[in-house]
Amino acid sequence: MQLGRMKSKTLMALSASAVALPGVLVSTSAISDTPPTAKVISYRASSYKEDSLASEALLAGSPERYDIEIHQLRYSSPIGEKYSISLDSSYESMSGASPWYTVKSANGNTKVAMSGASIYEKRRDVTASVQRYYDRGNVGASFTISDENDYRSNSASVDGSFTLANDSTTLSLGIAHSDDDINPTDAALFNRIPSANKSTTSAFFSVTQILNQFSIIQTGVSSTRAGGYLTDPYKLSDHRPEERNQFTWTTSWRRYFREQRSAFHANYRFYDDDFGVRSHTIDFALHKSFSRSITLVPNVRYYQQQAADFFTPATDFARTMEFNSSDYRLSKYDALSAGLKFNVQLGDYTLVLSGERYRTSGSSNPAMIDFTRLSAGIDYTF
Amino acid sequence: MHLNLRICLLLSALAVMTACQFVPAYQRGDLARPEMAFDADPLGSKLNQHIYFSKEASTGGNGVAAGGCGCN
Repeated sequence: MQLGRMKSKTLMALSASAVALPGVLVSTSAISDTPPTAKVISYRASSYKEDSLASEALLAGSPERYDIEIHQLRYSSPIGEKYSISLDSSYESMSGASPWYTVKSANGNTKVAMSGASIYEKRRDVTASVQRYYDRGNVGASFTISDENDYRSNSASVDGSFTLANDSTTLSLGIAHSDDDINPTDAALFNRIPSANKSTTSAFFSVTQILNQFSIIQTGVSSTRAGGYLTDPYKLSDHRPEERNQFTWTTSWRRYFREQRSAFHANYRFYDDDFGVRSHTIDFALHKSFSRSITLVPNVRYYQQQAADFFTPATDFARTMEFNSSDYRLSKYDALSAGLKFNVQLGDYTLVLSGERYRTSGSSNPAMIDFTRLSAGIDYTF
Repeated sequence: MHLNLRICLLLSALAVMTACQFVPAYQRGDLARPEMAFDADPLGSKLNQHIYFSKEASTGGNGVAAGGCGCN
């Protein structure tokens, strides 16, 4: 009986759901999904910087894109032997200009009008989560508030996992709901909608399976239904449907190579929605340990998406289609990113340094962004 | 994506899983390593997913997610 419980808990530790939904903050750490034995405080400071818009593509406004400074704080702790809690918060301050509309120039090239003045904005979010552990599973709940001067989101979720009697398979499922209020700035000045709301409801199911002594796989599906005001109020002549149904299928594989002291991660996601967007995402990472205290993690990610059915390279001012948007994020494009992370453990402290470079190609919209992210942080375990 | 294709993909994945071998608890040490977790860095993943969510048309299917925001 004791052995069975131990096996079950080991699998539970491995099989925390990797299928996420808006509003869900599912613990996926091998350590934290069993009742944790230690408290951990983590802090990260990050800088996100988008490349400037090419001068030949600028019609009006500022070519400077977003610069964002992000601070993240996380605290997790056991509560007795059967509960754990975690608190996550982040603070972002951003400045820069964003695309307003696009036009076709006389020579056939697409040009972008950016917002004229720099935008300064802040965002705060807080997530509180609680988890209850059982011999063969766990259940959890979380609540998230995200607040900006023109946007507020409240979301909640519940999720659970159950390990089958074979002690090798874990089933996970969850649901989440989010209610968002939108209050665009300068609504009267720019003829934007003064206020609106939208809601999002999601559900997921996943299966985690131990394949052998060194590898484990997880596959899952999720379905999301968003309704309400799904248009971008800051883009000129942007009209999107008031309902969006999204589907994902994900598979993740982990393989440990003992002699090389390396863990290989491979993830794939298929995404499809009734806006007409379909995408494939694949990423790989190698967690290479050089000693007990130093770990290097190179990773590469490839993303490819099709355009939404109502995407127009140039803004459809005449509104020849009921739904239309020239938002570059709804265009067809590819993105390739590569990153590197460096972890050093010094006693109870772990120092973390990481960076990522993200580049896009293949879009008919020159507003497509490339960006660089740099992060530094520390974890304290006590 | 057609429903049949979705079902086939899921059944294929489940078929792979049935080919697994049982691993006793004392041989699960490598599987339980922190670097083998499906999300080995919750804060890093949360930030990355937030960035991808705000810059790409796809969302969901990852280990972490935050509440909605005005970025997308």
